[in-house]
Amino acid sequence: MLEIIQEYWLLLLIGEYPHGKLGGLAMTLIISFVSLIVTFPCAVLIALARTGKPGIIQTIANGFVHSVRAIPLLMLIFWAYFALPMIIGFPIDAVFTLIVAIVIYQTAYLGEIIAAGIVGLPKGQREAAAALGLGYIPTTFKVILPQAIFNVIPGIVNQLTTIIKESSLGSIIAVSELSYVMLQVNSNEVTKPLQIFGILAAVYFVLCFSLSQATNWLERRISARRTGQVIVEAVA
Amino acid sequence: MIEFQNVSKWFGALQVLRDVNATVAKGTTTVLCGPSGSGKSTLIRTVNRLEPIQKGQITLAGRDIYAKDVDVNVLRSGIGFVFQQFNLFPHLSVVENVMLPLLRIRERSRAQARPVAMQMLERVGLADKANSLPADISGGQSQRVAIARSLILKPEVLVLDEPTSALDPEMVGEVLKLLRELSADGITMMCVTHEMGFAREVADRIWFLRNGTLTFDAEPAQFFSDEAHQDVRNFLSAVRKNH
Repeated sequence: MLEIIQEYWLLLLIGEYPHGKLGGLAMTLIISFVSLIVTFPCAVLIALARTGKPGIIQTIANGFVHSVRAIPLLMLIFWAYFALPMIIGFPIDAVFTLIVAIVIYQTAYLGEIIAAGIVGLPKGQREAAAALGLGYIPTTFKVILPQAIFNVIPGIVNQLTTIIKESSLGSIIAVSELSYVMLQVNSNEVTKPLQIFGILAAVYFVLCFSLSQATNWLERRISARRTGQVIVEAVA
Repeated sequence: MIEFQNVSKWFGALQVLRDVNATVAKGTTTVLCGPSGSGKSTLIRTVNRLEPIQKGQITLAGRDIYAKDVDVNVLRSGIGFVFQQFNLFPHLSVVENVMLPLLRIRERSRAQARPVAMQMLERVGLADKANSLPADISGGQSQRVAIARSLILKPEVLVLDEPTSALDPEMVGEVLKLLRELSADGITMMCVTHEMGFAREVADRIWFLRNGTLTFDAEPAQFFSDEAHQDVRNFLSAVRKNH
């Protein structure tokens, strides 16, 4: 296992860069964070539409969420990569395709998490804002969303770990992310799949476990802040 | 100042307000009391349209609050409203809670709004808690912050929905003291409360509601006398037993 890491560590980290395309772990992280950053505002809009007044916008948002949640991400990627270029008449970059597919997919799920945060707020918060004479925009962006998002930070971070794992589906459409690079290594080293995929599993585990730990830490801080307790950090 | 004319309201099939006719004069304090479910809170929530009415008319300074040209947010910014459960925004500090209407409704800068908010906090005796979060202050202090927030836009009317009901007994006094001061300053006040001592001392009129009907509207002297309506005497007797 160590000899594989020694030989391929740079490929694993950054792909063929600077002699070729950026890839490996760096590409996985870029896809994940770009996807989350683009997903977040889209999910907020979906959450606001889902929890707002009944009407055409809410109906569209409901339709979007129910449709996306009913299909597998892989099918969305196939559609975006193979079918969409036939419809629009020109090819689409694989990385872009993957990010768009993840954004669409995760907007539905992250939107539901944020919507839960909005619905979970006490009714009095919205009433207090209304009684002050605050309109929809300041009520939403200064009163409701800051609290709703704060309350679901663990859920949001959890979705980031999901996105990291979902980025591995990019290997199907030749996006040079971590799993794709390891598949290439496996093709070179045909007799060592156990070690190669062991390393791949370990890298994903370290990434996702670190994020879960960060989530636990955040949950503790949020809980302490809500109850007015002071966090005493351990001093070594 | 505030006039209720044949005000009726239903929650589904249940009628919660029945042809309420009453007037709150400018600069006076009106206390609303009555048993639970009598419609007191619902009635005061109609004043700033937190609860819509289905029949009748409510006028504020001679103007129908349901007129088409009335901007509900402008209407509400002219009526301070204090809730039983304070409803402070927990993610904002005490001073930020008080500043928010100035920033978002009056569009003042933070540099302009902060001194005004601090002045208001000084008035309610909480300037030293300006940077605390609502979770870090007591119930009585929270209610005083909520009152400061409701007064920051200098409303002509202050409406309070059981402002002391969620407080520990030792914290009731600090809130009532503040309300006495506000009443003496001449703000028009409507207050739902079971604090009969406060009502006797501060109110100009006391309204008694039962099953959505305003059954008695009198000055405190008459309200607490033997001339009061039988419902009122029964209510006062029950309140005395519980205290």
